Amino acid sequence: MSLTFLLIDDDEIERLKFARVLHKNDYPHKVIEAKNGEEALDILAQKDKQPDLIFLDLNMPKMNGLEFLSALKSNQELRYIPVIILSTSNNHKDLKEAYKIGAAGYIVKPLKYEDYTHKIKCLIEYWSVNELLKI
Amino acid sequence: MDNESIYILKRALQRERAARKQAEKILEDKSRELYQRTQELKESNEKLEDLVDKKEVKLQKVFDNLLDAYVQMDIFGNVIEMNHAAKKLFGYDISKEKLNVVKLIYKEDYKYAIKSFQELMTKGSFSDYRARVYTKNNGVRTVHINASLLFDKNKTPLGAQGIVTDITEELERKRIFEEQKQKLSVIVENSSLGIVLTQFGKIVQTNNAFQKLLGYTQEELLKKEIRDISIKDEYDSVASKIEKINTGEIDNFSINKRYLKRNGSSFWAKTNVAAVRNPIGDIQYQVSFIEDITAQLELEEQREQLVTNLEKTNQELKDYAHIVSHDLKSPLRSINALVNWIKEDHVDVLDKEGVHHFNMIEKTLEKMEDLINDILSYSSVSNMENLESKKIDLNTLVSEIMNILLIPENMTITIKNELPTIKGDSTRIQQLFQNLIGNALIYNDKEKGIIEIDYEDKKTHYLFSIKDNGVGVKKEHYDKIFKMFQSVGDNENSSGVGLAIVKKIIDLYEGEIWIESTTGKGTTFFFTLKK
Repeated sequence: MSLTFLLIDDDEIERLKFARVLHKNDYPHKVIEAKNGEEALDILAQKDKQPDLIFLDLNMPKMNGLEFLSALKSNQELRYIPVIILSTSNNHKDLKEAYKIGAAGYIVKPLKYEDYTHKIKCLIEYWSVNELLKI
Repeated sequence: MDNESIYILKRALQRERAARKQAEKILEDKSRELYQRTQELKESNEKLEDLVDKKEVKLQKVFDNLLDAYVQMDIFGNVIEMNHAAKKLFGYDISKEKLNVVKLIYKEDYKYAIKSFQELMTKGSFSDYRARVYTKNNGVRTVHINASLLFDKNKTPLGAQGIVTDITEELERKRIFEEQKQKLSVIVENSSLGIVLTQFGKIVQTNNAFQKLLGYTQEELLKKEIRDISIKDEYDSVASKIEKINTGEIDNFSINKRYLKRNGSSFWAKTNVAAVRNPIGDIQYQVSFIEDITAQLELEEQREQLVTNLEKTNQELKDYAHIVSHDLKSPLRSINALVNWIKEDHVDVLDKEGVHHFNMIEKTLEKMEDLINDILSYSSVSNMENLESKKIDLNTLVSEIMNILLIPENMTITIKNELPTIKGDSTRIQQLFQNLIGNALIYNDKEKGIIEIDYEDKKTHYLFSIKDNGVGVKKEHYDKIFKMFQSVGDNENSSGVGLAIVKKIIDLYEGEIWIESTTGKGTTFFFTLKK
């Protein structure tokens, strides 16, 4: 089953990393990229581009991750899309806040690329076997 | 003599006889009457005498029982009568010795005494004579005398009588009272607190400090009510409290309120109000103590401002450390990814040395990340927001640490004494033990490395020790090792932050840390944590 992901991260290399994991592992999934929260909301406003899953960075210019998450969760339709946080920070405060607002998961980006690959693969495989709501 | 003549004579004789008889009877009656009168007179005289006697006794009793001294003298000043109180006061007994009042006059009051005596003689009396007198045993008393002349039936002066009151004690009491009043008023006047006495809100007395605080004179203030020198809302809350005093609900209260000065400005003052009650408990006055706290409030405000600023700066610093750390980590991750991709994608063009160098880049990145993590944890040690206080069984905690740390085959860690269960933040306490045990593992060059953990209960603190047989620390480095980035070893895994974190955690738990070490033989870290 092919899934559509929305990856929101301002760092180009982070976006490359994510794409490379999909590509190298021959996943059939599609990735839509956004550089920040605002851009992501614009994409979500288009009915034909609704993702099954959102991967969200926290530290971003303009609209940061938590602000985006709050906006998403207050939208009656979009609130059902699971959001997995991809963060540099394992700060307890951020973690608590993210889950409070309604994050479906929280991944701390590891230093080593191979650790990153492992984590993303686990994530994708987990969500691939999940039943997801089609809006 | 003829018969007629005889008859006439006879009748005359008869008449005479009858007249004598009558006269005798009258005489008899009269003398009886006289006797009776004499008897009656005698009786009433006796009664009268008796009455006079009784009165005199009565009077004597009154004199004797009089609390005030009663003295009678003749016109020469010789005392002829003294009651009990007079005897007691002057110490003389005139039945035993003669006494002239001149002897009693205090030397310095002599003139006054003579003047008063003249007044007595001319006007017949004097009153309110106040002077000192000598008593028999050379004592001096102050007395008050009212005196008047005594006359006989021909209005010739016989002498004088006087009521003498000993006012020595009364004067002394007055003097003490005045003295105390004086003392009190010195205190009140010189008090740096404003003091004001009020009655139903009206000012009845103020002290210097209060006048100065408000810029009014005493006279001006006495025309005012507390209401006039207060701000309305504040006065209302004072009034409601005064009401509580009036009903007896409370006896005093303290309030911070403003006072209006003469020049229209106001100042903040701490005001303590207390009720002054009379002996039966009714309120007579309210006494208020007023302390200008404008400067104090300003200081407090300044302090609050400082604290707020400090909190803000602190928070900014924390956020800063946090953000910087994470911002620094991002490029590290990117470099790591890029290095990996080059290695993966271009493995065919890289020689052995090239791959080795890329591996070194990766190692350097890891070190850099460790360093950033250490700085991050150092900066969050004192972050009170996530400081929890839970029961921690240190035996469990240490054995968990032993699972996390890579313990080389040649090293043994033993716990010599059962460790206590303490209260604290588990993350920080774990960090503390982990860093110290980790250090002991790293800095060991012996074939058989031994680490011993020990514990001792000190009343207010827990005392722990972690002993190793490692490389040891030079004496000159004892202090240095607890400072940031002051790694004194040559271990490449050391960032120089670990012990700084340890020190900071111990500071947090009001403990101390010190070391005993012999270079080449080993080190013992001692540290305490407050219970």
